[in-house]
Amino acid sequence: MQTLQLKNVNKTFGNLKVLEDISLNVKKGEFAAIVGPSGCGKSTALRMFAGLETPSEGEVLANGKLVTEPDSNRVMIFQEHALYPWRTIEDNVRLGLELTNSPKNERRERVNRVLEKVGLDGFQTYYPHQLSGGMKQRASIARALVMDPEVLLLDEPYGALDAITRLTMQNELIKLWHGSNQTMLLITHDIDEALYLADRVFVMSSRPGKVVSEVQNEIPRPRDRNSVDFVKLRQEIMKSLDIN
Amino acid sequence: MKIDENVKSKEGLSAPFQPFGKTIPYIAAVGSLLFIWQIVAWILPEFLMPDVSQGLKRFIDNFSDPDFLNGLQSSLYRLAWGYPIACLLGAVLGLLGGVSKTFSVYLKSVVSILQSIPPITWVPFFVVLIGFGNLPIIFVITIASFFPMALSVLNATEGVNRTHLELARVMGANTRQLITKVYGPETLPAFVTGAQVAFGNAWRSLIAAEMVGGASAGLGWSISYAGEIADMEGVLASIVTIGTIAIILDHVVLNGIKRKLLKWRYTGGDEK
Repeated sequence: MQTLQLKNVNKTFGNLKVLEDISLNVKKGEFAAIVGPSGCGKSTALRMFAGLETPSEGEVLANGKLVTEPDSNRVMIFQEHALYPWRTIEDNVRLGLELTNSPKNERRERVNRVLEKVGLDGFQTYYPHQLSGGMKQRASIARALVMDPEVLLLDEPYGALDAITRLTMQNELIKLWHGSNQTMLLITHDIDEALYLADRVFVMSSRPGKVVSEVQNEIPRPRDRNSVDFVKLRQEIMKSLDIN
Repeated sequence: MKIDENVKSKEGLSAPFQPFGKTIPYIAAVGSLLFIWQIVAWILPEFLMPDVSQGLKRFIDNFSDPDFLNGLQSSLYRLAWGYPIACLLGAVLGLLGGVSKTFSVYLKSVVSILQSIPPITWVPFFVVLIGFGNLPIIFVITIASFFPMALSVLNATEGVNRTHLELARVMGANTRQLITKVYGPETLPAFVTGAQVAFGNAWRSLIAAEMVGGASAGLGWSISYAGEIADMEGVLASIVTIGTIAIILDHVVLNGIKRKLLKWRYTGGDEK
C-alpha cells in the first residue's frame, strides 16, 4: 500500500495562484480527507496524485516516488459518476481490466465479485441511465475497486447525491474500506462528511489554497455525529476556516 | 448492502426493431397525401391529373420496364459512389477539425461558403469541365452531402466528455485505447446522425442534378422527360418512386444500422 505526499507544492494557472506551499502527508492504509470551500484548489491537489496535473513547484510523491503520470494503482473516483453511457454496468466495471490487459478468463468473475460487494449484483446488463444516482456512484466505485488499487482518490464522490442517499453511501464506503488496507484520500466541502469518514482531515482555505490546519480524528467507529468529541472537532475546523 | 433506490424501468431492454415505429400515424400521413391527390383528380380533367389508382399502377408497371430499370440503376450507381465518398470525406475532415482548432475554423468557413451555394449550381461547372455522364453528378452529390457529416463529427469530437477521457487515463489507457474506448464510441452517434442528414442531401441533389441535365438517364431525368411530353401519369409515378426509395433507404436501412450501433440509446429509462 502507498503513502501520499505533497512537498511544498505551488500551482499556478496563468496568473491565478491555485495552491500555495502545500505540504501534506497521508500514511499507508489511512483514510484521509481534505476539506475546504469550493475553489480552494483541493481538487487540483487530488488530481496531482492521480497524475492528471503537475505542480508548478514542489514535489508530488506516492510511496516516496515522484508522480509523473497516471497509474492504475491510484484510481480516482469523479464527482460526476462518469460511467460510459454506451456500456452496460458490467462493461463499465470491466473497463480498467480491458485497459490493463488483465487475463480475459478472470474478468467476468472479478467484475461480478466487485458488483456484489457494492450491492449491484443483478444489475450487470443495465445501462447507466436506467439506474438512480446512488447506484451510478456505486457502479463507479465498483469500476475503481475492480482494479484492486492501493490508493483510492475520491473527488467529492457524493456531491451530486441527495442528503439521505449520501449518508447511506458514507456507511457503505467505510465498510468497503475497513480491512482493505487501501489508502483513501477524500475531497469534500462537507465538514461532517470528512469527520465521519476520515482519520486525518486537512483543512484548506481558498485563493490561494493553503492547508490551514490538520486534524487527527481518533473517535472510534461507528461515529456519532452528535457526540461531544465530534462536535468539538467540527468547531475546531470551523474556527480554522474563520466561520463563526 | 441493500438496494433501496427504485430502479428505473428495465422494460424494452432489447426493444424490437420497428422500421416504421409508430405505424398508424405513418399510414395516416401517406393516406392523407394520396387523398389530396385523389380529390384534385376528381376536380381536374384526367390528362391533367390522373387517378391515384392509375398513378400507382404506372408506378408498379414501371418496374417491368427495362428503360425505367436502367434509369433507376444509373441513379443508384451514382448514389453508391457519391454518398459513401461524402461520408468518408466528411468523417475524416470532421475528425481533423475536432483535433486541430485551426483546421476547425478553416473547415467551418469552407462549409459555410459551400452551404450558401445550392449544390445544383455546380452541374454546369462540372459538365463544361468533364462532360456529361456520371462523374459530374457524383461530384455534386459529394459536395452536397459531405458537410453535414463533417460538421456533425467535428462537433462530436470537440465535445467528447473530458471526464470520460480522464477516467480512462487514470485507469491506465494509452493513446490507442483512448481512441478505441472513448473517442470512437462517444462520437459514433454523430457519425450515424451525420450520415442520415447527408443521405437526405445526397438524394435531393442526385435527383436535381439529373433533372437539370447532368445526364441522359436516371430517375431525375425520367421525371423531367415525362414533364416535357406532358405525361402527368409518368411524373406522378416518378415522384412516388423517388419518395419510396428514399424512405426505404433512410427509414429501413439507415435506421436499422443506427439501432444496431446505438443499442444503448433505445433501452428503457430516462436521462439518455
